[in-house]
Amino acid sequence: MLLQLRDIARFYGSRLVFKGVSLGVRRQSVTLLAGANGAGKSTLLKIMAGLIRPSAGDILMDDGKEAVSVGFLGHMTFLYPELSAMENLRFWAKLHRLALPLSSFEDMLERVDLSAFAGEKAKSFSRGMAQRLNLARVFLPRPALLLLDEPGTGLDTRSTAILHREIASAKADGAGIVWITHSLEDDIARADTVALLADRRLAFSGSVEDYKRRRGALPTSAIEARPDDVNTRMAGGGEPC
Amino acid sequence: MLKAALLIASKDLRLTMGRGSGLLQALLLGLLLIFVFSLSLTPGQRMSAQGAAAIFWMASAFCQVLIFSTLYGLEEINGQRQGLVLAPSPAQGVWLGKALAGLCLLVASQTLFLPATIVFLGQEISDLWRLGLAIVIIGDIGIVAIGSLLGALSQGQSARESLLSIVLFPLLAPLFLGGIRIGSAVFSGKLSEGADGWFGIALAFDAIFVASALALFPSVYNAEE
Repeated sequence: MLLQLRDIARFYGSRLVFKGVSLGVRRQSVTLLAGANGAGKSTLLKIMAGLIRPSAGDILMDDGKEAVSVGFLGHMTFLYPELSAMENLRFWAKLHRLALPLSSFEDMLERVDLSAFAGEKAKSFSRGMAQRLNLARVFLPRPALLLLDEPGTGLDTRSTAILHREIASAKADGAGIVWITHSLEDDIARADTVALLADRRLAFSGSVEDYKRRRGALPTSAIEARPDDVNTRMAGGGEPC
Repeated sequence: MLKAALLIASKDLRLTMGRGSGLLQALLLGLLLIFVFSLSLTPGQRMSAQGAAAIFWMASAFCQVLIFSTLYGLEEINGQRQGLVLAPSPAQGVWLGKALAGLCLLVASQTLFLPATIVFLGQEISDLWRLGLAIVIIGDIGIVAIGSLLGALSQGQSARESLLSIVLFPLLAPLFLGGIRIGSAVFSGKLSEGADGWFGIALAFDAIFVASALALFPSVYNAEE
């Protein structure tokens, strides 16, 4: 197991965010993490990244064998506005001890459709362009564990396709991916497992097939993105897209 | 750790010099302090060597508060602090990188403060200038060591400049006192008895500040909200 969470709990002050969360992330898999606003998805992802400490519970990386490289895409882009797209990529790559040739950076910028803007300062980028550069920053080092917090935010259809392609490519390379989504029914086709946070606990964790079988019994607040749509589909017995 | 520190320092210097505002504010504040104190002198009057040395170090102290506020502020715009925390190099690399960048900016500022002190406060550099250079180097190392630690602590605080000043200045008192005593000797040309003992004190505080920063920085510089 690439990442194993055991009985994780987290408080903010005296407020319990969640407790008893046990979850495993395998190599070469995509786990969708969903839940209503405030359920603690981002908090759980930051705990997985090691950015914040759990109030209780254990985290085990790669069965304790070795350190796992982590790529984290949060709500903020980590970009330095005064540096160009290329300079941003090179700074973060060097910080992760990657000695890559110039062509690797050019190739990455090409893949996220930003090669024409390589020398432009990040502060001149639109939200979508900044998010694509952020994707390049995260995917370039090819980390073993990818933690993505709503990576589709601010992306248009074409950019979303780039995101899906990069996620598929990282998975094919063996990465374990945890992906917070507000469009569970849209993204489920790209996932292997689903985890739902609701009522301050992990309401469901299992394979996509298990999820599809049991979703009628799951709290609707966990599938918060479009609960009405989901209920309609379930009532009609149709498969999610 | 050294590679990460050099990478962060070069990035910080580039951004600070490119943006200009942070360094310019620090320089202007220091120069303004020196100039304002010179207004208390009547034409032709010279300030005492001790007073001039004290004003030089005061300008340096206020300057470095703004420098570290600016340097750590660079990671507040787009959450870059989380990125630095996630980097595989030890957290102390961030402390060292910021300290190195801060040292470069502080020394650059002092190269303007010194001639300003000489011109506006009517001072001369005596044959004891080597002692002055030594105390500036020793003093600056201590200032940036603790400044980089406390800069990280105050990052994200709305009143970070005042917080930095309140915590930093009492801690730096021994270095400032040593700097003033030796600086006074450099300006007057007379080394008072026991003044050279301040080198030992300043070096000891440098060691304490560096050791404290290395030990405490990982717990200070994290992504906890």
